[in-house]
Amino acid sequence: MKTRRQILLDSYLGLGSIALTDLLAPPPAQAAAADPLLPRPTHHPVKAKRCIFLFMEGGVSQMDTFEHKPLLTKLAGRQMPRAERATGEIATFSAAPNRIIPPIADFRQHGASGRWVSSLLPEIASVVDEMAFLHGIKVDNNNHGPAVYHTLTGNQFPGSASIGAWVTYGLGSENRDLPGFIVMGDRRGATIGGAGVWGNGFLPAAYQGTLFRNGAAPIVDLHPRSETSQSQRAELDLLQWLNEKHRAGRTNTSELEARIASFELAFRMQSRAPELVDIGQETEATRKLYGLDDEITEPFGRQCLLARRMVERGVRFVKVLHGAGGDRWDDHGNIGERLPVHCREVDKPVAGLLKDLKSRGLLEETLVVWASEMGRTPFDNNLTTDRPGRDHNQYGLVVWFAGGGIKAGATFGETDELSVRSAGEEIPLRDVHATILHLMGLNQSRLTYLHAGRYKKLTDIGGRVIREVVSV
Amino acid sequence: MPQQRRNYAHGRIRILVLATALASAQEPPAVLRQKCAACHDGQQHAGGFSISTAESLRAGGARFGPAVVAGHPESSSLLRIVRGELAPRMPLGGELAPTEIAAIETWIRNLKPTTLASVSSAWNPFVAPVRPAVPQPRDAAWVRNPIDAFILSRIEAAGLKPAPAAHRRTLARRLYLDLAGMPPTREELAAFVDDTRPDAYVRLVDRLLDDPRYGERWGRHWLDLARYGETSGLEGDGAIGNVWRYRDWVIDAFNRNMPYDRFVLQQIAGGDEHSKTRNNYQPDEQGLIPTAFLRVAPWDRSNLVAAEVRANYLAEVTTATSSVFLGLTVGCARCHDHKYDPIPQKDFYRLQAFFQATQAAGAVPVPFSGRAMAERSRQQSEALRQRLKDGPEKQAFDALEKELLAKLIAERQRRSAGQPLTKNDLRLEIKLEPRRIFTEAESLHHARLLEDADRTGDAEEKALLDTLEDRLLLRLKTEYASAKLDPTLRFNALTANDVRSEAQAKYSGKSIFTVVEKNRYAEISGQLNILRRRLDRWQPNVLAVTNVPGPPSGPDIAPVHVLVRGDYRQPGEIVEAGFPIALTGQQQAAAFETDRYRQYPTRGRRITLARWIASPKNPLTARVMVNRLWQQHFGSGIVRTPSDFGRNGEKPTHPELLDWLAVEFVESGWDIKHMHRLMLLSATWQQSAENPGADEDSRLFSRFSRRRLEAEAIRDSILAVSGRLNREMHGPSVFPPLPADLADFARYGRTGDLMWEPNPRDEDARRRSVYIFQRRSLPLPMMASFDAIVFSESCDRRVATTTPLQALSLMNGSLVEEESAHLAARILEAVGPDPARQIERAFEHVLNRPPDPAELQRFRDSKASLAQVIRVLFSSNEFVYTE
Repeated sequence: MKTRRQILLDSYLGLGSIALTDLLAPPPAQAAAADPLLPRPTHHPVKAKRCIFLFMEGGVSQMDTFEHKPLLTKLAGRQMPRAERATGEIATFSAAPNRIIPPIADFRQHGASGRWVSSLLPEIASVVDEMAFLHGIKVDNNNHGPAVYHTLTGNQFPGSASIGAWVTYGLGSENRDLPGFIVMGDRRGATIGGAGVWGNGFLPAAYQGTLFRNGAAPIVDLHPRSETSQSQRAELDLLQWLNEKHRAGRTNTSELEARIASFELAFRMQSRAPELVDIGQETEATRKLYGLDDEITEPFGRQCLLARRMVERGVRFVKVLHGAGGDRWDDHGNIGERLPVHCREVDKPVAGLLKDLKSRGLLEETLVVWASEMGRTPFDNNLTTDRPGRDHNQYGLVVWFAGGGIKAGATFGETDELSVRSAGEEIPLRDVHATILHLMGLNQSRLTYLHAGRYKKLTDIGGRVIREVVSV
Repeated sequence: MPQQRRNYAHGRIRILVLATALASAQEPPAVLRQKCAACHDGQQHAGGFSISTAESLRAGGARFGPAVVAGHPESSSLLRIVRGELAPRMPLGGELAPTEIAAIETWIRNLKPTTLASVSSAWNPFVAPVRPAVPQPRDAAWVRNPIDAFILSRIEAAGLKPAPAAHRRTLARRLYLDLAGMPPTREELAAFVDDTRPDAYVRLVDRLLDDPRYGERWGRHWLDLARYGETSGLEGDGAIGNVWRYRDWVIDAFNRNMPYDRFVLQQIAGGDEHSKTRNNYQPDEQGLIPTAFLRVAPWDRSNLVAAEVRANYLAEVTTATSSVFLGLTVGCARCHDHKYDPIPQKDFYRLQAFFQATQAAGAVPVPFSGRAMAERSRQQSEALRQRLKDGPEKQAFDALEKELLAKLIAERQRRSAGQPLTKNDLRLEIKLEPRRIFTEAESLHHARLLEDADRTGDAEEKALLDTLEDRLLLRLKTEYASAKLDPTLRFNALTANDVRSEAQAKYSGKSIFTVVEKNRYAEISGQLNILRRRLDRWQPNVLAVTNVPGPPSGPDIAPVHVLVRGDYRQPGEIVEAGFPIALTGQQQAAAFETDRYRQYPTRGRRITLARWIASPKNPLTARVMVNRLWQQHFGSGIVRTPSDFGRNGEKPTHPELLDWLAVEFVESGWDIKHMHRLMLLSATWQQSAENPGADEDSRLFSRFSRRRLEAEAIRDSILAVSGRLNREMHGPSVFPPLPADLADFARYGRTGDLMWEPNPRDEDARRRSVYIFQRRSLPLPMMASFDAIVFSESCDRRVATTTPLQALSLMNGSLVEEESAHLAARILEAVGPDPARQIERAFEHVLNRPPDPAELQRFRDSKASLAQVIRVLFSSNEFVYTE
């Protein structure tokens, strides 16, 4: 077997750049233009087949959730030390780095890994041995819009493909009766970047996330407006007869055939999607596990339960969003009252999801990712009230993984004693993206798409796969 | 000159043959592969240099030009670099062994010039085109204009034949879809089919080029390139200003056939002109409208690091300008030397320097140029102002506000009973009119300190406020205790602002207002906000760029630095504005055009760049644009990477045709409609989509390329066919209704502001798609499923994927549902109850043809209702594909 480089060099004097381009980029889409969601093999063997991406919008405070920093308690109320590393971009919203807010909850060690978790997340703490943590991740921008885009699309400006689109582009989808990439929004309102954060960007539309709505008809235009399903089938038969007749007289018909097939897929989706969202089929115990019996945990619990039902049915990528508008993890003020509410909303549902996946044997083949778009500062940003809150910190993002192919219980990266930024080498966000792709069996350098003169990739200039938290 | 043509056609093959024959003698020494490939192979072109092909070796890199001169080691920069005679010595950080250097030298000395020379005649996008001779294919009768001669001779050379001519009906439908973006009506089609004059087709082309629908259709293509959007795309995705006036300018420019050089000039440098002779010359303010091209990209207003926002802005406009007008991907050079093209990083900043005096202005008042639009604006503004003053929404709001204020005061009074007095009470009393305890001076002083502390969040400011409030609070307590005045009256100081914060509060826990009241407040204030936004849209403002004033009114323009790794915190070398070395061969600074007295020292940078781009001598501008026109007409470009004419892009399939068209374009006075005519009147364009012997991906253009319509054309066609398309042109954008439920996700922010608004009039929802509001975070689901998201980066080519969601939107969406019903009613009225006649008429309306007997039979047997029949036709492949 020749390597690609050898083949290239063999072509040295002869082949022009046309051949070269062909060799360099065998993007899956060209081969699958007619059937964009056809399942495709991974680049390397892995365990995870699907991904559930839990996104907490607003910037989760790391030192009140997953980072135990006793020094903050000691320095509570004191002026933030004016260390050089604590100034700069992270201070943009505050007049000056101000008084240190102690962690708003106690920390205890949990599980065999002895990991410290705050008492705001007791349920997640109970499954902490399933997780691998990354601390001190750096995001490119210190405000929500660009940071959300950066976290979810690899680029702080709109226009790029989201992670879910990349993964679906790379792997296709196992369940052809449902969309390959599904998004569940927070019912309180629009997410900050809107459709762009689950968009296809420069990739074909087949890879864009499909937004699931609440209710029995989760997909836009899922059901006919007036017809019965019987007369709709008859209508579809008539259409397909006409399309078939049209195709039969023509050559170069692969696109036409794909379009004929897409109508059959759509027809099947009409029955499969409602079945998917019908959680009445779940047992009482399962519903409780996700907190569906409590009005605080019910909304996110429902989304997490649906996420499990989706991966169970072979949906490739599920993105679950939490927090919207003024009601997100953006605790500039009154963090003592706000943060516990949001923690409670997600704590039981997330733990329930991991437990449920595990008991069904699905956790091994599912990658679960928890992320936000940034971390927060140890100090009060001293806005208007006497109820303190924390500012944005683009150096303090925490991400954790659970499920297939990770090193459960592992940790990589650590912030300094004040939880400002990485104590060691900075972890750029693209390393996290490279790791997610790797865990899904995709090589960041091979997953490319030619756009505007460049082979675009999720990690742009390339990230490092963080082997420290990976077992495949 | 057929000989010359054949040379080219076989050029690539010749190189191959030569290379193989001479392999033993000519093969480059292995050391190149071993030591250089890591950075300079096909994948990595550090410095724009690659060792992977003969062509790339000859062309060399960005810094030193040709790397290998056959037979002349002493002039080959490759050798001088590995010897260390040119810096930096390569391989970087090391050096080759003397024997390895000797091997390279021997190889170059023995290299036959012919091997490499035969490559040098290859088409080079960076050298200005000259009009090539038109070839003479064998089948001269097929040729209608020079395009056909170029195309046919290649088809013949491949031993193939062109496709037969398309049928008249097919051709008419194709032409309407191409130029108007919607199929012909029954009547329009009949008029053409019955027109027996020999020039009937020419007349139709001309008529459609004069049809205002043409500008809407082709303007939309340009808006793709211009990354047109009407919101910032980030934080809140707010509207960025009245950019719809730029959209209208583009539509009008196409309709009026504005010469392309002027079209370019205006978008880069409108308002930047000057007069060489006249003092105090002020450019036409209308010229500001097209400069929205430099402003419509996503805009990071929320980032507080001003230098970073500015650096990102400049990089974006530099990238967009060069890729849209020049087909150059200079964006890569923001951070490093281009890996594929001879564009050093420095060139990116030399280009960017032309924008150094540019400032992104906010709303700039520019009156409407047309009287009709000015009148519409005046009327709408007046009506909206009136409605905001005392319309039903305002009255309802005032009433609600009054009611809520009374409740707030009463409830706060009730809750305050028995509670200790706090600073919040002080803050009320001190604002109270008429004054009871505190003087006006004290009130003002307090208000100032409070505002300072709130705004800055500064600890010292807060301390000042605290001291004052502690003191005043003591007095308050004393006065209240004296029982001379009623303490509960302090709550009369509550205002509409307090009502608003109470109504919008999320975490107050014990809210004074009920959920119903809060929702009602949000709803009515939302309605008022919409009216205000409508009023804004009708104001004669534009989103534009202007120049900073400069001396003597302001500071001089700052020097431009190369940014190390594109990072604004790492300024490097200072550069002057200049054109890319790859195109001009020189690094000299550009001389800015100025007025005679240098009265406006910041003016003239952009115009200098624009004139260079829009110059007949520019090797890329005309080629890039004719290729874009070709792509829209023929389905793919002659260069299939239309915004990348560099090495990483595809080579032209017909380089001589491209050059011929480019020269023709310039010599015609950059006449876009002339180019349309040439292409549309060619036999090439009029071929059938069926040519069984043709090459599969039609690189020879030996058949018409069947393709799916874009989202806009599908929606517009459905509305046009049903007869309900609202053909009104221009004006603020419209909001076709979102699917029910999606509205859940269309609210934003604490106040639940609507991201998608109701239209002032129902029929606005049926305007052409080019007028749909372009909200970056909320594309209409149907449009997005057909690959029409709202673009944030320049889009040079719509992809056309097939997904089940498209099928759902046609099968079940409200558009097809409503328009099918409407067309059914129209047909019923026209032909009466006979199902056969109904079906026939439906086919004629939707597919521009009658059904054949089998179709008629099958449709009749299906017992489908007429509306169902129409729905089926709207969903059919025949309808959504053009061929």
